[in-house]
Amino acid sequence: MSAAWQLGIDIGGTFTDVVAVDPAAGSVRMAKVLSQSDPVDGILAACGSVGLELPDVSDIMHGTTMATNAIVEGRLAPIALIATEGFAEVLDIGRQNRRELYKMAMTPRPEPLVPAERRLEVQERIDAQGAAITPLSDEEIARLARDVKAFGVESVAVSLIHSYQNGAHESRIGEGLKGVVPFVALSHQLNPEPREYERTNSTAMNAALMPLVARYLERLVDRIGSRTGLHMFHSAGGMASAASISSRPLALALSGPAAGVAAAASVARRLDLDHVISFDMGGTTTDVSIIVKGKVQIDSNQRMAGYPIRQMMVAVETIGAGGGSIARRDGTAVRVGPDSAGASPGPACYGLGGTQPTVADANIILGYIESGRELGGTVRLDVKKAEQAFAPLADAFGTTIHEAALGVRRVANANMARALRRVTVEHGVDARACTLLAFGGAGPMHAVSLAREFGIRKVVVPRFSSAFSAFGCMTAEMSYAEQRPLHMQSKAWNAANLAATVGAMADRLADPLARVGCDRADQRVAVAGLLRYTGQSDAVEIALAAPYDLKAVDAAFKATHERLYGFATDEAWEVDTLRVTVSSPPKQDLSSLAAPVAGAAPEPVALRKCWFEGNREQDTPYFDRDRLPVDWKVSGPAIIEDAWSTIIVDPGATAWVDAHEHLHIAVEEDRA
Amino acid sequence: MKPGHTTRRDPFTTEVIRNALTAIAEEMSLVIMRSARSPLLREAGDLSSALTDAEGGLIAQGRDIPAHLGIMGSTVQEFLKRVPKEQLQAGDVWFLNLPEVGGNHLPDVKAIRPVFAEGAVQAFAVCLAHWADVGGARPGSYVPDARDAWQEGLRIPPLRVFTKEGTDREKMDVILANVRGSQEREGDILAQMAATRSADARLQELFAAYGAATVQSAIADIHDQSERQMRAAIAAIPDGEYAGEDFLDHDGIGDHPIAVRVRVTIAGDEATFDFSETDDAARGPLNATPFTAGASVFYAMKAIAGPDIQPNAGCGRPLRVITRPGSLVHPPWSRPVVGGNHETSQRMVDAIFRAMEAVVPERLSAGGSTTSGLLLFGGTDPRTGGWTTLYEVHAGGEGARAERDGCPTARPHMSNVMNTPAEMIETFYPIRIERQALRHGSGGAGRHRGGPGQERHYRILASEMAMTSMVERNVIPPYGLQGGAPGKPFEITVERANGERRQISGKTHVTLYQGDCVIMKSSGGGGYGAPPDQARKQEKS
Repeated sequence: MSAAWQLGIDIGGTFTDVVAVDPAAGSVRMAKVLSQSDPVDGILAACGSVGLELPDVSDIMHGTTMATNAIVEGRLAPIALIATEGFAEVLDIGRQNRRELYKMAMTPRPEPLVPAERRLEVQERIDAQGAAITPLSDEEIARLARDVKAFGVESVAVSLIHSYQNGAHESRIGEGLKGVVPFVALSHQLNPEPREYERTNSTAMNAALMPLVARYLERLVDRIGSRTGLHMFHSAGGMASAASISSRPLALALSGPAAGVAAAASVARRLDLDHVISFDMGGTTTDVSIIVKGKVQIDSNQRMAGYPIRQMMVAVETIGAGGGSIARRDGTAVRVGPDSAGASPGPACYGLGGTQPTVADANIILGYIESGRELGGTVRLDVKKAEQAFAPLADAFGTTIHEAALGVRRVANANMARALRRVTVEHGVDARACTLLAFGGAGPMHAVSLAREFGIRKVVVPRFSSAFSAFGCMTAEMSYAEQRPLHMQSKAWNAANLAATVGAMADRLADPLARVGCDRADQRVAVAGLLRYTGQSDAVEIALAAPYDLKAVDAAFKATHERLYGFATDEAWEVDTLRVTVSSPPKQDLSSLAAPVAGAAPEPVALRKCWFEGNREQDTPYFDRDRLPVDWKVSGPAIIEDAWSTIIVDPGATAWVDAHEHLHIAVEEDRA
Repeated sequence: MKPGHTTRRDPFTTEVIRNALTAIAEEMSLVIMRSARSPLLREAGDLSSALTDAEGGLIAQGRDIPAHLGIMGSTVQEFLKRVPKEQLQAGDVWFLNLPEVGGNHLPDVKAIRPVFAEGAVQAFAVCLAHWADVGGARPGSYVPDARDAWQEGLRIPPLRVFTKEGTDREKMDVILANVRGSQEREGDILAQMAATRSADARLQELFAAYGAATVQSAIADIHDQSERQMRAAIAAIPDGEYAGEDFLDHDGIGDHPIAVRVRVTIAGDEATFDFSETDDAARGPLNATPFTAGASVFYAMKAIAGPDIQPNAGCGRPLRVITRPGSLVHPPWSRPVVGGNHETSQRMVDAIFRAMEAVVPERLSAGGSTTSGLLLFGGTDPRTGGWTTLYEVHAGGEGARAERDGCPTARPHMSNVMNTPAEMIETFYPIRIERQALRHGSGGAGRHRGGPGQERHYRILASEMAMTSMVERNVIPPYGLQGGAPGKPFEITVERANGERRQISGKTHVTLYQGDCVIMKSSGGGGYGAPPDQARKQEKS
């Protein structure tokens, strides 16, 4: 059998999701397995879970929270930093301003990524125009190599002043460290922009991720062989090769969340929804992002764990609350998260040794998930274990087990409401006009009650909701992008030079796409310039196209500047940065692959007792999601299940299935 | 669902409108940073944005600089006394910098745009930007030995520079003819206009979505909420009269310290701040306007009592500020004020904290680097032949607290301007940064140590540059609290190309030549609590 299948695999903290598509046969499969301690095993297990072996697979599109979790949890490799003489303490000095104006106890900056004793200064200097005013000697390089060796670190960040203008010194140091340390990150390659504090931080963070990510990818490529293509889903919502990610693991900083948001955006476009909040509740964390008119919001100046990260990344709000979040008593209150039972031992109801009460345990106690149900053939849910875990909490507060479970859900929802607030209300977006698009293992179980609390009227649970990030890896357009400084002045315009630069960049980017069967003829090349008046700091993005006529670019820049800022002058401007994106449209519209189920309304597969807000116990019908026909409709209370997730249609809400098998829920006011 | 147009006062709508207004103010600051030309605005962010109601009551502000934000409401109120509302038109942008029109000092130029909806002025968008030069006797418009207000630069009364027809070229040209670096300045003026324009557009969306009446009632609720919270926070502080004082190093002309004294009276849910015992107006440019006194009180009381309360005019209602005409903080309008804005305002804040040490020591930080730490470099860039002014502010160590050491190099209290990256300085000025590092050991000792200051070395590449200093805590160091030791004071050293070194005053000007180097060392923070060894000694004795 020839390799026909394409796999989207998203490895999260708790679960690994996989969606497999055979485009020629029009087949699609989906599965979810517990994440493994070795993610390489996880990939192979994911493959097996959809009944495939590596020779069946032509390409793997891979998203992962590996880098995200390492940054957030501070599990970073110890590194050394090499800085220009006089600048080793840039990381301590920062930018000096504060976010909380009236808080006298200012929040301290996070510990520098490299401790003082592992920072080296090097005698060299490049000036602002890129001239080497103090040369770098070979003796200096040899000294650095000796000192680095003595530190015993595996990875080194090199961030020299003005390296974005002239990277020669950094490159020579990089060469000199070959054979001394396995990993070196050079700032002019990673973030070729001025501002030493931000660039040094980004470079240090990249260096601190390299051992983890590069080793993983090396082993993974080794295991899957060269016949299966590997494409990494990066933080800005596109693909990059394993080789390029190994040297730039920082590009994975938001890989997992970006895949979910990309999938949500594709659904938002298909359903023509103006304002969508993507709500991805997993086992450990919940990611929330806003999608306006089908567009993912990108922010290239974000912070993670308090550190500035200069990379194009999707704008996501992450909170430490998920299905595995542990509930504990805190005086007279209950706190939920941020610590999580994760995949191992997992919530108490998994029976894998967890004894602390979690959000997932609350859901099984309330009857939303059937006790005895199997997850992925490895876990058998046990309500008794969940009840045992909840008993101390209920005793402490003098409530029933069910009241305690409802309370924990309320607190978890309140945590998540804060994240919703940050992406909507705090940006002046009226949440009531938004649709909540819920996915992830636990999202659809909380969406309706959360929406109700927050004043949102409409919830959509998309098809493939429980492996939605993996689906995102598949449906996002395959695109490779590269950006580089150009500094071309309007006064010294050279269209031929520009065309040649674009051509060379496009050639490099076309290769990985050709590998997945997208011919050059089918590829789209988009060129954008970041333009600004000489002396401005931020630039506006202008689409550029051959023959790169100066007059046309001039007119487009001024019109855009006028539209954005209300003025435009005849002063000189420059193309500061050139951005080239080569993409192929998704080959398959996944919603058209499997014909929707036709036929009569299904009978409930079961009728069970569930507890809802107000401690109401109600007989609740369970339905199998895979057997729901188009236009089927049900009024809550109802529970809709697929193999991996549970959708709760609370009392008062109404759900129906659309032609793409997305489930829509009208939340309706409960109080009336 | 589309919100209706009837007046509603449900808490959810108010919350959405409150956050929308704050987002609009924050966006103004982003717009100006993106489109402005001078590094002082686009890198260091020496600017602030706010929205006021139709009478000048502050309703929302960006995350900017407390010294600016505290006067924005006064600026609009005093502006309206000079320019009646009937004179205002949609599309106007008025510029002004006169200290007596609700202002602080000449370099902080305010752009005010009236926002119309349903045929009436509903709000004002105000964008304050520190111009790197506003004319006057010296480059950068800081004149340490100025004796009167006219030496400090171009004085702009309310002036309509933009109308809906566009730029009023004649007025623009008058301004540009009176400042150094006119091309850069024109870009900055346009950026200020652009910021108020974005606020106008966003406010129009808000008025269209909810109707002016709903937005106005939400604004009234927002003010009332903040007032209620502020009153409750003040009521939690024990009633009484508390006195505090702090001292300026000197005024740039004389060499003696100048006292800033305050009596704080907490009575129930109201507080009065009486600065009457403060010394007389200074001869040099360290005078502060009574509007700046109001801003200092607003900041200090919010920091002590209600850091999380939304900052708006409601917070100010239970606060009363008394200044004595003729004093340092209520000077005759002929007196110079340029340094008082960021130096004397910090002294007022410190005086209030010293007063409150008697009742709430656990809430306070020891003395920090409460100075702008300003060095101004002006000259012709040999690479371009154009005029450049580098306005460099320097953070120092944070004062220690009851629970922890002070942070290294951070900007406390009234200031919040960022540093300019070395790479940006070298790109835009004929200066090379040779070293930037922590000033180890500069924090004061104590149970908790003050944070360290920093040092930065500037090598001059132009044949000649003028430099002005405007620095406090150069003579009187940041104080320790509850027995902690003071931090090290600010130090500025000029090292000539021939190796000769000399420390210079915190308020002076010097001429620098090619090859000279200026070594700036900022102050360390004060310690908190007696240092462990001293505490032991006291136990033994």
